[in-house]
Amino acid sequence: MRLNITRIISFSGGIAVAAVALTVGIKGNATPVKFSADPTVQRLKLEYRRPDSIPFPKNNPYTTEKAALGKRLYFDTRLSAANVLSCASCHSPAYGWGDGQPKGVGHGMKQLGRRSPSIVNAAFGQIFMWDGRAESLEMQALGPIKTDVEMNLPVDQLLERLKSIPEYGPLFQAAFPGEGISPDNIAKAIATYERTVVSDRAPFDRWIEGNETAISDEAKRGFVVFNTKAACSNCHSGWNFTDDSFHDIGLPDTDIGRGKFFPNVIKMQHAFKTPGLREITRRSPYMHDGSISTLEGVMEHYDNGGIKRDSLSELMRPLGLSAQEKSDLVAFMKSLTSEMDPTTVPVLPR
Amino acid sequence: MKQLIFAVIIAYVGGSATAFAVQHSVMQKGKIFSESEISIKKGDTILFVNDDNIAHNILSTSPGNEFNLGSQAPGTSIPVAFEKTGEATVLCAIHPRMKLSVTITD
Repeated sequence: MRLNITRIISFSGGIAVAAVALTVGIKGNATPVKFSADPTVQRLKLEYRRPDSIPFPKNNPYTTEKAALGKRLYFDTRLSAANVLSCASCHSPAYGWGDGQPKGVGHGMKQLGRRSPSIVNAAFGQIFMWDGRAESLEMQALGPIKTDVEMNLPVDQLLERLKSIPEYGPLFQAAFPGEGISPDNIAKAIATYERTVVSDRAPFDRWIEGNETAISDEAKRGFVVFNTKAACSNCHSGWNFTDDSFHDIGLPDTDIGRGKFFPNVIKMQHAFKTPGLREITRRSPYMHDGSISTLEGVMEHYDNGGIKRDSLSELMRPLGLSAQEKSDLVAFMKSLTSEMDPTTVPVLPR
Repeated sequence: MKQLIFAVIIAYVGGSATAFAVQHSVMQKGKIFSESEISIKKGDTILFVNDDNIAHNILSTSPGNEFNLGSQAPGTSIPVAFEKTGEATVLCAIHPRMKLSVTITD
């Protein structure tokens, strides 16, 4: 994580680039495309520049004490009823801040309904959970702790448990002077730590910044397909490759996603939030239901256009991609994974 | 302009305090609103125009000015009157980055 930690009142994400008409052709194995000289590619690349700081909300600004406390809480299994699950159990740095499973596993080792989403770059998110039921990271943080099928620890028991661990008191005092241990402060500390989890610079970033040798020609061609013929950028837009919006992408799944909260809005049925693509090779299996295990499989799904139903996004359609184009897209996506710095596990308060 | 004149005539005939109610247009294109904030008078309407090629779901949960337009198809326009003074936040539930702050005054 190499971003400066400063407060930004508002962060403007990427702008949809689908409307930009590229003049660069897809050459397959023919003469290499002169990406560095093409003005349209250069203009397009501007949409993918990394931000230079992390945005923190005005009502929960960054402090080192808060982030340090939040990290301990995030990795502490005592935040679950059975003392075996922490936030990191399902959102682990070992798996690109997910859990590597098709679906999450909760209290009593029971499988949950959806894949555990990665928390990477959550600081830049507009809305949280696959169905958007949390409007902020602070709202999200306590949800899994108290949900019976997840960590199953009611808030009153959570407070009791943390207050019984002597070394937590001074940490809360340092992070929230005079306020003590409270549900709000637990949520604020965890959210602050989560906002510091930002994807490292990837080969793609070095290419965006002008190093033409940072990624392969295959990946460069994939970038063009991503933004034109395949129009992945309609939804996977900006440096974090998400529009934070909800789409039915036509997976054969009975889960109605955001439709639960908007039963009368057809486009909300089977709609899930667009995940970002950073660190993507560490985040398999893919999709909200973990139903596709490889990036190649994901390409096949989008190329086919998904199940036809009324809720299917208007942006989904058969793409008619060639084998070369699909291979180029995968090469491009692999360039979004960084050589992530190892994450140290904190020594927990006793 | 025709819409403005029509709105004024309707309000005048009604003889209410909204005699000068006007209609403002806010477009939805490229998954953003044409403006991020707008100031209007109590009783004015905002015409939400979907100029995108995808559906939107515009709503507000701000007290006194709650509404939910449901699935709004591309190419359609829906007027909404704002009847309570104060601040209202208008969102798209499908595309949460779409936010419009509405200031309503007497």
